[in-house]
Formats: sequence, structure tokens, C-alpha cells
Amino acid sequence: PLPPLPRPHPAKGIHKCRKMGQDIRNTVGNVPMEWYQDYPHIGYNLDGKKIFKPIRNKDELDEFLDKMENPDYWRTVHDKMTASDIRLTDEQVDLVHRLQKGQFGDVNFNEYEPSVDFFTNEVMIHPVTNRPQDKRSFIPSLIEKEKVSKLVHAIKMGWIKPRKPKETTPQYYDLWAKEDPNAILGRHKMHVPAPKMRLPGHEESYNPPPEYLLTEEERLVWEQQDAEDRKLPFLPQKHSCLRAVPAFSRFIHERFERCLDLYLCPRQRKMRVNVNPEDLIPKLPKPKDLQPFPTTMSLVYRGHTSLVRCISASPTGQWLVSGSDDFTVRFWEVNTGRCMKTLEVGGAVKSVAWNPNPAVCLVAVCFEHTVLLLNPSLGDRLVVSSTDQLITAYEPPEEDKEQAVTWALSEGLEHNKGHRLTLTHPKAVKQVVWHGKGDYLSSVMPDNSSNLQVLIHQVSKRRTQNPFRKNKGLVQCVSFHPLRPYFFVATQRYVRVYNLIKQELTKKLMTNCKWISSMAIHPGGDNLICGSYDCRLAWFDLDLSTKPYKMLRHHKKALRGVAYHRNYPLFASGADDGSVIVCHGMVYNDLLQNPLIVPVKVLKGHQITHDLGVLDVTFHPTQPWVFSSGADTTIRLFT
Amino acid sequence: MSQLQTRFFTDNKKYSVDDVPFSIPAASEVQELSNVINKLLEAKNGSHSQIEFDFLVRGQFLRTSLSNHMEAEGISTEDVVEIEYVERFTAPQPEECMMHDDWISSVEADSEWILTGSYDKTARIWSLEGKAVMTVAGHTDVVKDVAWVRRDGLTSLLLTASLDQTILLWEWNSERNKLKARHCCRGHAGSVDTIATDPTLATEEEEEVEEPPSRPRKKQKTEQLGLTRTPLMTLSGHNEAVSSVLWLDSEEICSASWDHTIRLWDAETGSVKTTLTGSKVFNHISYSPLCRRLASGSTDRHVRLWDPRSKDGSLVLLSLTSHSGWVTAVKWAPSHEHQLVSGSLDNLVKLWDTRSCKTPLYDVSAHEDKVLCVDWTDSRVRHHLYSPGETTHI
Repeated sequence: PLPPLPRPHPAKGIHKCRKMGQDIRNTVGNVPMEWYQDYPHIGYNLDGKKIFKPIRNKDELDEFLDKMENPDYWRTVHDKMTASDIRLTDEQVDLVHRLQKGQFGDVNFNEYEPSVDFFTNEVMIHPVTNRPQDKRSFIPSLIEKEKVSKLVHAIKMGWIKPRKPKETTPQYYDLWAKEDPNAILGRHKMHVPAPKMRLPGHEESYNPPPEYLLTEEERLVWEQQDAEDRKLPFLPQKHSCLRAVPAFSRFIHERFERCLDLYLCPRQRKMRVNVNPEDLIPKLPKPKDLQPFPTTMSLVYRGHTSLVRCISASPTGQWLVSGSDDFTVRFWEVNTGRCMKTLEVGGAVKSVAWNPNPAVCLVAVCFEHTVLLLNPSLGDRLVVSSTDQLITAYEPPEEDKEQAVTWALSEGLEHNKGHRLTLTHPKAVKQVVWHGKGDYLSSVMPDNSSNLQVLIHQVSKRRTQNPFRKNKGLVQCVSFHPLRPYFFVATQRYVRVYNLIKQELTKKLMTNCKWISSMAIHPGGDNLICGSYDCRLAWFDLDLSTKPYKMLRHHKKALRGVAYHRNYPLFASGADDGSVIVCHGMVYNDLLQNPLIVPVKVLKGHQITHDLGVLDVTFHPTQPWVFSSGADTTIRLFT
Repeated sequence: MSQLQTRFFTDNKKYSVDDVPFSIPAASEVQELSNVINKLLEAKNGSHSQIEFDFLVRGQFLRTSLSNHMEAEGISTEDVVEIEYVERFTAPQPEECMMHDDWISSVEADSEWILTGSYDKTARIWSLEGKAVMTVAGHTDVVKDVAWVRRDGLTSLLLTASLDQTILLWEWNSERNKLKARHCCRGHAGSVDTIATDPTLATEEEEEVEEPPSRPRKKQKTEQLGLTRTPLMTLSGHNEAVSSVLWLDSEEICSASWDHTIRLWDAETGSVKTTLTGSKVFNHISYSPLCRRLASGSTDRHVRLWDPRSKDGSLVLLSLTSHSGWVTAVKWAPSHEHQLVSGSLDNLVKLWDTRSCKTPLYDVSAHEDKVLCVDWTDSRVRHHLYSPGETTHI
């Protein structure tokens, strides 16, 4: 193979010129000498003959021997260019030493020679040149001005942006920025340390104090107990010295339990929401700010001998009527508790209702199959006599229609006792209720199998109507709307609202109760409360929905009676647990504002007799007082 | 324990002690002070018997220890404390028991006779010894209130008001024990619950209705000749039943009502002069010409004192709180400017001193049922109770 041709080198010419005189042995120039490694020659001479390398046949051993024996070995260098060894002269060695020390190569060079100040800094009176100053040295440069104005224009036009301020805050790379918290690494952050083992106590000592040792009985008890029930998992034992302590027999067992502890420990952090329990309670005004409402028991009306089922207050608030299971109706003076009158009727009185019209003095009483209209002869004599006139002024119509009930005028002895009209129903009557005007009254005969459950009577015309053609369930109670011609019928689970003029069902309220016991209509007419035997009181906002606006579960036992106050924002409920709960129930004229319901007072006083407590509640028509009648034969007034 | 410099004085000459300062332990209470006075009196007068005293410091009755009282009242303990002492009013025992067949609704006493109205539709006249002298029967319904009108010599005029909406004026000759109905006053549309007579004008009477709140009215009637009288003037303005009425003087009438107001009326024109508004129903009011205060008993168990002359109309001077039932009757002492008596549905009658507003001077608990009305005669208390029909007279 041909030896590689010498390659042109940019520095070759200069190199050659410089080296020409000194060294002619290298003719290949500055090329890597490895190229000639396997050849006996390096380059060619002018005659085209090979220039042969000096014969080198030194191996490592020769090299070593040479190193050991040649005293000039240390000053011999190998010239790769010519592949020859050169022995440095003394001057050359000296030069190398100086260069190694950082001194100048020239021995004769004095680096500390004093400097000659050619151009003095002092201003001489005779300048070197006497040339006058150029004009351009003292007028502003037009070229500079042109350049500057160009830059200014560029900055104004926004072509050049001012340099961004350097961010001085050090920037760090967030190693965990994109980390998935559910990844394995993320779990380390949620590390829950394993439960620690309990530290050993005195009883675990090899020589425990005597009070930690079990007595014989305790030991027997311990042995009979299940392992889970034992207070200590081992028996404390006493040894005289540590040497006498045997091997720990329960070691495997205990380790196993520890592993179970670690393994089964719930290693999950519970994300507990920190909620102040106070915040969960809705903000209600304090009962103190909602006065007046009844707070204490003031009067007890005693006289009945059996449970008092029903009470009703006169529209003036001076009298109270009560009906009882001892077959009597009693009239009471409210402010003294005096029983003014006692009337015997022929059965347990189920319901009484004082006529709400103050110009009429009539009380409707129902017992067994009869509804009796009484004139108690209390209050203004004029009203009493005009009521009697109203009843006797009736003229029978031309043609007699068959009516569901028979109307009979009382005379003689019964008239003197106060009886005025007797309405004999075909079935047992449970409830009687007046319309707000005082001319109509409605009676309820609960019966699951017929449509003759509710009757509406007109007293002045002695007429009776059956408003319903179909049986929609067992009727519990009925009520008239205080202002509009609506009629409320409560069956076991629903309250139906009928329009009496259009004769149609307008609304059906779902009470979510098992069995409705009582019902009361707010004097404004847009709200209704329902008490039920399953301890609940449901407040309906008739404009809002057919579902209860609020469900109150304050009573422990079945509710028996509910009532609204006519003027004050109060309602009360009486239950079998012997208590009356008075609540503030504010209804706003603003349709957007929901009624405010705050329970304000629990009134206790009635004793529970035969598992019955309070049977009826009613409010005083003008004062914030509530009456309650109970199974303990008393009526109580709370003021 | 620290000592206090005190000086004792009294209005009662019988129990006066020397006017020298004494050093008394600051923790001493009424009993110890009373013992001190008794010791002093014994030293002065050998035949002195033990008497219980009550003590007043700056016009307030002492009820706790002396130091506590002075701390509460803000009295300096450095000076000599002036302590007034009076004989203690001990709770009286019932002297007489007058048995009615039925509840007693009202009582009024004068110096010789006691007049009671009852739920058995009659009124009765009793002697002070408790003997029934006369039964006044004529009403067809419960007698709600009674009043003496005038007495000259042996002939007395008396009034009875009833639930049958009438007021009857009776003339009674105490010597011959003869009773004659003179007039019947009609005009009320409800039961007449309270009447009052003008103390200065013996020919004029006054009646008051409790009636339906729907027809608020209050009537004043003046006697005319003839058998049946009609009202001279009707004072209307109350929204609810009027519970009590009285004459302040011959020109002013005061009435209390269930509509939470006390109104002052001008007797000449029949117009409202002042309205005092309370927070609860008023059951009864009483006026004392000595201290010119109105006392009211209401359903919230307090006895309140009012100044009828205050213009702002809602100033309660003092509340006396100790009853646990409705206060149905209050009456000022006719001869003592600080004392009043109150009866309540909690079966108690309490004697109050306005200088001790925290606790009453004593309770009378002889009644077994509700107290409906009370009355005083001079230095005697008479009160009256409800269901068993007992009248107790001390």
C-alpha cells in the first residue's frame, strides 16, 4: 500500500519557512506521526528518496535499562517529528526550569527596569503640537444626533422594546409540581405512623411490687375470662432475680399479634371536616325577644270528674266552655276559675265550639249522635235575648225536603237549661266546628264505608247539606277557611282543600304522617298546622307547596290538639306526654319570606292519666294565654 | 371582723334609746341589732319585754348583713351610720273567719261594718266581730263588687255591682237592721266588675264594667232621682275589659284594663288625660293620697308602682316581686304612706313596704285558695278569699 500523501495544512507554508533552515529531517509537515507508525521512513527528501527513521529497536526493557543507566536520561526528550531522541543542552534545561517557574525565557531581560515616562501627564506650557482644536470636538455630532433620533423614533413606534427587567428571584425547579398524589410517592406524604407499642409497666417487671401481683381469686377470675375480656394479657409473675426468669413463652404469639396490629391498622387518614357544631344550628331569634307568650301556669279549672276532651273560649275571652267524659258541659269564668254553669248532657262530650260571632251567644256541643246548640246565657243580656230571637224567628219552608239530620227545637225544662236546637245525626258525631261568620257549622261522623261523613248545617235556615258524594277515606277533622270559601277536610293521611263555591278540590296536602289527629288554620288563611298521632306536627304553607314546609318533632307522644292564636304569632300543640309546646310562628305579608317558626316554651302541668296527657289546647282570643284540657280532669290556663 | 360606728334613733318615744354612737360588728344582721336594742331598753327600763325590731338605713330596710347592705347601697363605712328602727310587723293571725256559702268576690270595710259580695248572688254586711248582720239579696247573678257610699248616723248607703249588668243602691238602717233598695243603675252591656265611689261627693257614684273586648266601653253613672238610673257619662277608649276603676280625686278617674293600659280620665269632660302602658294585663289598681302613687297588680306576678302625674306615661317607679301567681288585688294602707297589701292567686297575702322592694314585710298564708280581694281598715288588714269563702280579719 502506498503511504498516505502529505496533506496540505494551512500553517504548512509558514511552518516550513520557519523550520526550513533549522530542521530538514522532517519533510512531512505537521501531520500526526501515527500515520507513519508502521513505516520505516518519514517523508521524502528532495531527491525523492525515503528519509528513514533512525533505527529504533528499544523495547520496554531497554527503555528501563536506559533509564537506570543513562545519566542523561532525565534531559533526553523524544522528538516525535523526527522520531529521534534529543539530549537537551544545559542552556535548554535552564530555559525549561525558568519557564516552569514562570520567569522570562531570556536571562538578560530585566523585568524591573525603571519605566520611562514618554508622555507626561503634566500639562506642559509648550504642547507637543500646536494644532488648533477641531470644530467637531466642540459641536454636537450630527451623525450621533441622527443615530439617536432614529433610536428614539424606533422606541416610540415600539420597534425597540426596552430591556426586560432581570428577574432577581432565584428560580428553582419544583420537583414535585406534577406529581400525582395517588402515586406511590404521594402516599408518603399521607404517612400514618404505625401505632406504638405500649411501654411496659410495673406488672411486666420480673419482680413487680406486690400490689401488682394477682391474688388467688383474681387469678381464678383471670383464667375463666375470655382472652378478649382480660385486662392484662398475661399473669404478672415474681422472680427473685433476673437469672431465674425463664424464656418468654408467649414470644411468637406476641410478635404475631404485633404484626396483626400493624397489618390491620387502618392506615388511612380520615379527612375530618372541621365544622363548628354551633354553625349547623340555624340562626333563630332568642325566645326572650319573641315575647309575649305563655310561660307559667296561672289557673287551674277544677270540677270535672272525668277527662276533659274539648275546650273552647268565647269570642270575648271572658268565658270558657269545656266538655268532658263525665257527660257534662261546664262554663267557666276565665279570670277567676269559677265554674259558672254545669249542664248535663246524655253522653260523653266529644267536641264543643263557641260561636265565633260575638253578636251570637251559642255553643255547639256534640255527644253520641247529637249536636246540641246551647245558649249559655252568659255575657250581655241583649246578645243572649237576640240569639234566642234568632232561633225562634225561623219559619219552616213551604215544601219539606228530606234532610240527613233532624232538627228539633227544645222546649220546657230543656229550654230553661239552655238547650236550643238538637240535631240528631244518623251516626256518632266526633267533631263540630263553626264557620267564622257563625251561621254555618260542620259536623264530622267518621265512617270508612259511606260518603255521609261530613255535614254542613245552616242554623238560621235549619238546613243540612252533605257536600261530598264520594268517600275519600276516614275523615278525622274538618275546618272552615277563616276568610275565603274554602273547606279543609283531614283524612288519615291527607288534607284536602275544597272550594265551596266552585265545588271542586283545589289542593291535596300530603302530610307524611301516619294518622292525623288535629288541624288548625292560621287566621291569615295561608298556613295550616296538622298534629298527628305519630308525634309530629306539620306546618303547611299553602302558597308554597303541598308538602309540609316544616315538620316539628318536639313531642314524645301522640299529639292531640293544635291551635293558632288569633292575633299573636303563636301556635300551640298538646300531646299525650302531658306537655303543651308553644311555638312562635310568624307569617309575613311578604310572599317571598318563609314563615319563621321558633319553639319558645314547653308548658308542663298536666298529669298523665291512663297514658293520656293533654287532650285539647286553645288560645285566649285576645291575650297571649293558652288553655289546655287534660285527662287529669283539669283545665289549665298558662299565661 | 370590722366594727361600724352606728347611731340608733326612732320616732316611737316608747322605744327611744340614748343618742350615743355604738360600735357594732359589720357582719351583724337584723336579729343581732334587734337584740342590741332590746338590751339597751332593758338596761333603761327593767320591765321591758322582748320586741322584734326592723331597721332602716337611709330609708331602706335592712335585709342582709349590715356590711353587705352598705356595700350594695354605696354607703361609706367610715362615718357614723344612722340607723332608724321600728317595731317589726309580725305576720298576723286570722282573728275571725266569716263563712260564706260560696266564693267571695269583693270586700269593703269601714270603721264598723264589713261589706262582702259573693258568688251566691248576695252581698252581706258583717260586724267587726264577724257576725253576719244582714244579707243583701236582690241581684239575679253573681255580685262582683261592693262599695260603701255614705253613712250618716245609722243610715248607710251601699252599692252592689253584679254580673247581671246592674248596680243596685241600697239604703240600710243599722239600728233597725232594715234594708231598702233605692235605685237600680242600668247601662252596661256586660257584667259590672268593679265600682268606685267618690270619697268627697257622697251623692255621686261610679261604676265600671268588665265586658267583651269587642265593645270597649267604660261607664260612669251619677245618681239621679227615680228608680232606674242611666249613665251620666260613658268613658270609652279601652280595647278590652276594664278590670279596675277608682277616683283619684273629685275631678280625676283612673281605670285599669286588660288591654295593658291604665288611663286617667277627666271626670268633667270624659276625655283621656294620661295613658300609662304596661306589658301585661292589669288586674287591680289602688291609689294612695298620702304618697300619690298608683299600685297595680298584674298577671305577670309583679306589683308595680306608678306615678300618675308623669307625662311620659310609662314610668314604673318600683316593682315588687315575690308572688308566684297573678296579683289579683292591691291596696294601699289608709294611714301609712309606705305600706301596701297585695293578694294573689298563689293563696298568699303580702304586706309590702316600699322601702323594702325585694321582700315583703310578711306573708299571710292562712288562705287555702285563691285570694280575690283585700282591704284595710285603720291599722288593720282585712283580706278576703275565694273558694272556701273565708274572710279573715286581723
